Amino acid sequence: MLVPLLDASPWALFIGRFHPVLVHLPIGFLLIAALIELGRRTGKIAVSESTVVFVLFWSAVSATFACVAGYLLSLGGGYDEDLLGAHMWKGIGVAVFAWVAWLVKSDRIGSKIAFGKAVYLPAFAAAVVLTMTAGHDGGSLTHGDGYLTQYTPEPFRSLAGMDPIEEKAKEVKPITDIQQAVVYKDIVQPILEARCTQCHNASKKKGDLRMDELALLMKGGENGPALVPGKGAESDMIKRCLLDESDDNHMPPKGKPQLSTEQIALLAWWIDQGAPADKKVSELTVPDPVKPALASLGGGSASGGSGAAKQKESAIATLKVSPAKEADIQALRKAGLIVNTLSQDQNLLEVSAVNAPNFTDKDIALLIPLAEQITWLKLGGTQITDGALKDVAKLKNLTKLHLEHTAVTDNGLAEIKALPHLEYLNLIDTKVGDAGLKNIAASKTLRSVYIWQSAVTDSAVAQTGRQNPALQIVNGFSQAEVAQFLKAGDSTATKPVASKK
Amino acid sequence: MEKLLRELQHADVLRQTRRHFLQSAGFGLGTLGLGSLLGSCGPSAAGDAAGAGDPLASAGIPQFAPKAKRVIYIHMAGAPSQLELFDYKPELEKYHGKDCPAEFLEGKKFAFIQGVPKMLGPQGKFARYGQSGAWLSDYLPHLQTVADEITFLKAMHTDQFNHAPAQLLLHTGSARLGRPSLGAWAVYGLGSENRNLPGFIVLASGGRQPDAGKSVYGAGFLPSVYQGVQCRTGGDPVLYVTDPKGMNRNIRKQTIEAINEINRQTYEEVRDPEILTRISQYEMAFRMQMSVPEVMDVSKEPQFILDMYGVKPGEGSFGMNCLLARKLVENDVRFVQLFDWGWDGHGTNATDNVEGGLRSKCEISDRPIAALIKDLKMRGLLEETLVVFGAEFGRTPMQENRNGVVMPYMGRDHHLEAYTMWMAGGGVKQGHSHGETDELGYYGVKDRVHVHDLQATILHLMGFDHEKFTYPFQGRNFRLTDTEGKVVKQVIA
Repeated sequence: MLVPLLDASPWALFIGRFHPVLVHLPIGFLLIAALIELGRRTGKIAVSESTVVFVLFWSAVSATFACVAGYLLSLGGGYDEDLLGAHMWKGIGVAVFAWVAWLVKSDRIGSKIAFGKAVYLPAFAAAVVLTMTAGHDGGSLTHGDGYLTQYTPEPFRSLAGMDPIEEKAKEVKPITDIQQAVVYKDIVQPILEARCTQCHNASKKKGDLRMDELALLMKGGENGPALVPGKGAESDMIKRCLLDESDDNHMPPKGKPQLSTEQIALLAWWIDQGAPADKKVSELTVPDPVKPALASLGGGSASGGSGAAKQKESAIATLKVSPAKEADIQALRKAGLIVNTLSQDQNLLEVSAVNAPNFTDKDIALLIPLAEQITWLKLGGTQITDGALKDVAKLKNLTKLHLEHTAVTDNGLAEIKALPHLEYLNLIDTKVGDAGLKNIAASKTLRSVYIWQSAVTDSAVAQTGRQNPALQIVNGFSQAEVAQFLKAGDSTATKPVASKK
Repeated sequence: MEKLLRELQHADVLRQTRRHFLQSAGFGLGTLGLGSLLGSCGPSAAGDAAGAGDPLASAGIPQFAPKAKRVIYIHMAGAPSQLELFDYKPELEKYHGKDCPAEFLEGKKFAFIQGVPKMLGPQGKFARYGQSGAWLSDYLPHLQTVADEITFLKAMHTDQFNHAPAQLLLHTGSARLGRPSLGAWAVYGLGSENRNLPGFIVLASGGRQPDAGKSVYGAGFLPSVYQGVQCRTGGDPVLYVTDPKGMNRNIRKQTIEAINEINRQTYEEVRDPEILTRISQYEMAFRMQMSVPEVMDVSKEPQFILDMYGVKPGEGSFGMNCLLARKLVENDVRFVQLFDWGWDGHGTNATDNVEGGLRSKCEISDRPIAALIKDLKMRGLLEETLVVFGAEFGRTPMQENRNGVVMPYMGRDHHLEAYTMWMAGGGVKQGHSHGETDELGYYGVKDRVHVHDLQATILHLMGFDHEKFTYPFQGRNFRLTDTEGKVVKQVIA
């Protein structure tokens, strides 16, 4: 029975998987035994020595089983050899010392051993210390090295001589222009990091395969190369992704986050193209079926002016403010404004002056008591001027601002450029000019600004657009564009170019 | 005669006593019922039932911040062929003229197809457009220019193969009459954004109303104030909206105030919520006398805008309705529903087919739809406004053989297994395609979207969890998606 168990048979792996369950028993038992011993010796509790010995016995038994299960688990492979060795020998040490400590105290044998008493405490202490260190090694094997102390706070961090916490440096940076994206670094690697490297890394190389570095990925694992450059369909990593999820060879394993169809298509395409390390999208041929997958990465139309396909979530999704006073809302309604609550629980407000065309700079003071809550504000078509924007600048949670068909100018915009959450700004049919646009474009949060029929010139649109690729500046149509539109069959993407009607 | 009179008197007394009884004894009961009727559990419709106010003035509160503040829903009644416009099937071309495989016919019901029909290859020439590489046919030369704004739903499916029930299912969530429409739910949940205009406006073109009639934009069991208000596309948008001779605005105002006062008294007595609706409609009508002619006046639009939509002031058309839709959402109308009739391409005559007939329908509609998207975008409205395009179902990959006879023109029968719809703006992905059909375009094989899923997604974009947005009626909570529907998260930007 035992012999076949020593191979990586299903039985062995079945029992091996119980290692994480069993391993906590000796830890608990040993610590309890140590505590009781401590309490007994300091006179805090009144228990007999046999209690300690009884607990010690079960510590030794459970430690032995944990060792066996641990060995069987290790047959599955995929662990860092050095760390695994240290963990194993320390674990065996725990069992051995626990047995020794028990033996010298046991009724039958204890009295026959010379120096028994002298051995007891050191063996006990060794077992306890080894439990701690073996446990730590086990944690490192499962979760990766440095898991325990990854988020050590200051000042302990500097005291221990650790590097500052990495601010998720690996975070995938948004692709602004897909054509300029480096396929491996910007597309393939983020996919692998999100779905593969958790198990295929330096400390946990399942199947002896590491996917965290290109060279190691190329080298492959125990089942041979993970990919065949130029042949995506014949590459093991693609085949495994395409297998049915219930298949044992399917990757990622059942229950783990799976790759999307687009992600698989992108990986296969990259391999088809020879798995290059530093080629850009524009340097490779992109077959039709891959185009939608590439487009789904966003930035596909950075030059086309239609904005990124995948925007980051608006601030209004997370902002939460205190409820507005009903009297303040009623005051606005009395002035003819429409006040709606944006969503339950957030208390953000949408205020519109669509029915109050006579709204002036003087009325703007009504908004101030709601400075925290107002996030969408529509003042389009009202009598307001730059004077009002001084107060609008106090609406710190403003994300959308409609100023179309008003008399605001560059001076007014200077007031609101510091709004910390502003995402949408409508300046259609205003006196805003080039200076105002450049000024407001400096905002890091602003995503779209509409400037048809304003005083902004085409060259300013082009220049500001180049400097702020994430900002969508939408102008009216040029006569040429209208003419082109009217002529059927135009196949270019929308491109709101400068120049107005 | 005398006998008859006495009988009448007797009946009157009976009725009176019953009414008095109900009034005195049943008052508490009545208000109780009203409370449960209006104390809706979905959005916190504060003030909805409170007093005799304007039910549209105080809005409900969505469950989460909406991405789409407004919707323009373009419904092509009759159902255009996805195989000619959006869903390119080169394989179908190869099977053109061959018998339909038996597996497509076994156990299936069609509106008209009988026996074994022939397959019908795509009639349009397809190519890919925009950076997203969207497949579109030469039937839609203008839509190509805005392909990168659109998310296509290529594997839509429904349960109904006849126009009226399918339209009801699409717009009200049920194939039977009596449920509120999508627009009614939206206005009920979100309220109106403009006090002077209805929150839900309907514009129809194509010479006929949709087959399911006004129920596709009705309020169902919601208070009728939420139903769609249909405006005319040409001439006076609302008939008799101008004051007749001899009636000045002041007299009109006093008249309406007097009527409303009487109505308010009646409401205090019987507490029928429909009275509130009537009061608010009188008030709305009075305000609309000013607001509607102004909003619906296209004569001040720049010439290039009129050119792009291809419209002339004063002439009603689908194009005009697109322009009006833009003007309405510009004035914060919550839900604008466009219907255009004449897309039922069976192949029975020179207009109802998928060749010339469909082509001429596209010639009328393609340009204004593309112009609408460009126009919305230019004005900063597209990112706040969801544009939905589609029909009640799609059309078969087989050529129709009504009564076993081959039709005089290329035509296709109603098809519920797979068809295409699209959405743009209002928080959906730009330049995206979701779902796939099989090689012949018969079944959806990947990412199928049922009409209930579409409804759930539209509600989601407007800030509502479709499972929690309910209205209690006849003892249970109703919702638009009934017991089904799943939000299609993949199409949300």
